[in-house]
Amino acid sequence: MPATSDTIAINATGLARDFGDVRAVDAVDLAVERGAVFGLLGPDGAGKSTLIRMLATVLSPGAGDALVFGESVVHTHRRVTPRIGYMSQRFSMYPDLTVAENLEFFARIRGVPKTLRRTRSASLLASMGLAEFAGRQAQYLSGGMKQKLMLASTLMHEPDLLLLDEPTTGVDPVSRREFWRIITDLKAAEKTVLVATPYMDEAERCTAIAFMAEGRILHTGTPAEVKALVPGTLFELTAPDPRVALAVLADMPGVTSAHLYGDVVRVLAAPGGPDAKQLLGHVRASGIEATDAHAAHIDMEAAFAFLAEQDGEVS
Amino acid sequence: MIAAMFSRIGAIARKEFIHIGRDPRMLIAVLVVPVMQLLLFSYAISFDVKNVPTVILDQDKTTASRAYLQTYRSADFFAVKGSIDDLAGVEESFQRGQAQIAVVVPSGFGRSLARGEKAQVAVLVDGTEPNAAQLGQSYALALNQVYGNKILAEWADRQGIDVTQAGRLEPRVRTWYNPERKSADFLIPGLMVVIIMIVTVQQTAVTLVRERDLGTQEQMMVSPLRLPELMVAKLLPWTVLAFLDMVVIAIVGLGFFGIPLRGNVLFLAVGAMFFVFAALGLGLIISALAPSLESANMIALLVAFLPAFILSGFAFPLESIPPVLQGISYLFPARYMIIISRGVFLKGAGFPELWPQLALLAGYSALVIIIASVMYGRRAAR
Repeated sequence: MPATSDTIAINATGLARDFGDVRAVDAVDLAVERGAVFGLLGPDGAGKSTLIRMLATVLSPGAGDALVFGESVVHTHRRVTPRIGYMSQRFSMYPDLTVAENLEFFARIRGVPKTLRRTRSASLLASMGLAEFAGRQAQYLSGGMKQKLMLASTLMHEPDLLLLDEPTTGVDPVSRREFWRIITDLKAAEKTVLVATPYMDEAERCTAIAFMAEGRILHTGTPAEVKALVPGTLFELTAPDPRVALAVLADMPGVTSAHLYGDVVRVLAAPGGPDAKQLLGHVRASGIEATDAHAAHIDMEAAFAFLAEQDGEVS
Repeated sequence: MIAAMFSRIGAIARKEFIHIGRDPRMLIAVLVVPVMQLLLFSYAISFDVKNVPTVILDQDKTTASRAYLQTYRSADFFAVKGSIDDLAGVEESFQRGQAQIAVVVPSGFGRSLARGEKAQVAVLVDGTEPNAAQLGQSYALALNQVYGNKILAEWADRQGIDVTQAGRLEPRVRTWYNPERKSADFLIPGLMVVIIMIVTVQQTAVTLVRERDLGTQEQMMVSPLRLPELMVAKLLPWTVLAFLDMVVIAIVGLGFFGIPLRGNVLFLAVGAMFFVFAALGLGLIISALAPSLESANMIALLVAFLPAFILSGFAFPLESIPPVLQGISYLFPARYMIIISRGVFLKGAGFPELWPQLALLAGYSALVIIIASVMYGRRAAR
C-alpha cells in the first residue's frame, strides 16, 4: 500500500528541536501506520517526550515537519488537535476537581456535546474501574487511578490518534496490565497509538517500535525485527556470585556484551563465538564457581541493552 | 461556533469558581480579608487629630495664668493630662509619650498683662509626629490669637474705646463635600479602590502560572480553546468577586462609617467594572511573565500594593509627590478610579465631570488585556 494519509497516521520528516545548546530531537524521520500500537523506546533523555510533544502540537519543531493524518503540525496544527489525544508524562489534571469534573471540563473545552459527555464519561469510568471514584477529587487518587483518569480524559473526544508519554511509569503491575488491556481495545477500535515506554515487556505488546537515543531514531520495525538486529546468541549463566562472573565474562574473546539480569549473567556471544559449555569453562578456569549456562531467547530487554550499548559505542 | 466559544468560556469560568470555592484560604483572602483591611485601615489610618495629650507648666500661678490655661482645658483639640513642676518635666513627659504638647506659662505672665506689656508663653511641640505637631502648633497659635484679641478687647473696653468701630477682617472658611472633615469620608472611597486592586491583582497573578505548573496549559493547547477566550474566562469569576467585595465595602462604609453616597451608583459601577478589568489585566500580565508562583506573588505585591497606596492619591495628594513619581502614577489604574470613587461618593459627580477618567480606564483595561494575551501567547509559544 502506498504511504498516504489514508494509511499513514504520522509522517515526520527531518523533525528537530533544540533546547539551548542541547539538540533534544535531531532530524527524526518517522512513519506510523494507522491502527498501529507504536512503541517509542529509548533511555532517559533520548528525546522521546520532545518528539511526542511536537507531534501533539504543544511544542513547535525547530526544523522539519510532521503530517498527522495529512495535516502539518507546523502550519495547520489547529486541524491536527481535534484528532489527537495527548497524555503527558506528568499528571496534568486539576487536583481539586473531582474525577467527573475533570472529565467534564476537558471534554467541554474540546467541544464534546453535553449528551455525549455524559454517556462517554460513564462508559469510560466504568471500563477503567473508576466509576465508584467519580466524585473523588483527583488529588486523592492513587498513582494508577490518576493515570487512568488522564487516559479517560484524552479519550473523551474520541481521537483517532493517541500520543501517550510513558503512561504507566510509576504504576503498579496490575494497573499496568489493565492499562494495556485498554490500549489493546483501542487498537481493536482502529485507533492509532504512539506510546513512549521504558518497559520492555510493554514494547513486546506493540505492533511496531522505534528505538531512540540522543535525539535520533536508530532502529524501527516490529519487535521481532528489532530483536533480529541483535547478532549472535544469548546465554544465561548462573553463578553464586554473578558480579564476579560478569567481570570475567565481559573480557572474554567472542563476547559482545555481558549484563546482570536479576541474579543471572546475560552474555551475548558474537556469531561463531563461545557456546554455553565454553562460557562455563571460562568462568570456572578463572577459579569462579558457576552452576549452569544455557542459551536463551533474545527478548526486548536483551535487544534494548545491546542496542543501547552499541549506540553508546558509536556515539 | 459562537455557542462552542461560550461553552468553552463557561467551562473555564465554572472551573475557576470551583477552585475558589474549594480553597478556604482563597475564600478568606477574597471575602474576609478585604473587610478586615477596611476596618483596620479606617480605624488605624486616621488623619483626624483630636485629644492631643498636653501638659501644662504654670510657673506664674496667678488668676491670669489660670484663666489662660483654662482655654486649653476647654478646647477639644487638647487633652490636658496634668501639670508638671519644672522644664525638665517637659522632656520627661515627651519621652515617655505622656504628652505631645507642653504649654509653659513663665512667672511674671499675670504681671506683664496687668501692666499692659507683652506677656510671653511657650508652646512646646513634640515633632516626632509631624502631622499632629503641625496641627498642634496651628491650633495653639489660633487659640493664642483669640485669647490675645480677648485681652485687647478688655483693655480697649477699660480705656473706653469702641473696637467695633475699627475695620475688621472676618474670614469665613467653609469646607465643601466633607464639612466635618472626617477622615473616613476621605479614606473609604479610596480604600475601596486600593483593596480591590490588591485582591484582584494578587489572585489573577497566580492563575495562569498555576495552569502552567499543573501541566493543564498543555491540555488546553491541544483543544480548540483560543487565548482571548481563556483570558475572558479567567477574568469573569474575579470580576464577580471584585464587585462583591466592592458592594460589601460600600455597605460597611455607608452603614458603619456613615460616609455619603451623593452621585450616580450606576456610573460608579461602570467605572468600577473598567477598573476591575484593568487590575485583572495587570494581574494576567504578571501571570504571563512570572516564571514561578513565588515570583508571581512577589511581583503582584510590588505592582498592586505600593502603587495603590502611594501612587494613587489614596493617602497622599499626588500633587505633593515628586514629579517623577507623579509620572509613574499614570501607569496604574488606581489613580483614575480614586478620582471617580471620591467624585461619586463625596461630590455627587458623574459622567459630565468624570468621563475623562472613565475613558482612560476603559482604554487602559483594553490595552492591558491585549498585552496580557500577547505575552501569554508568546510565553506559551510552542
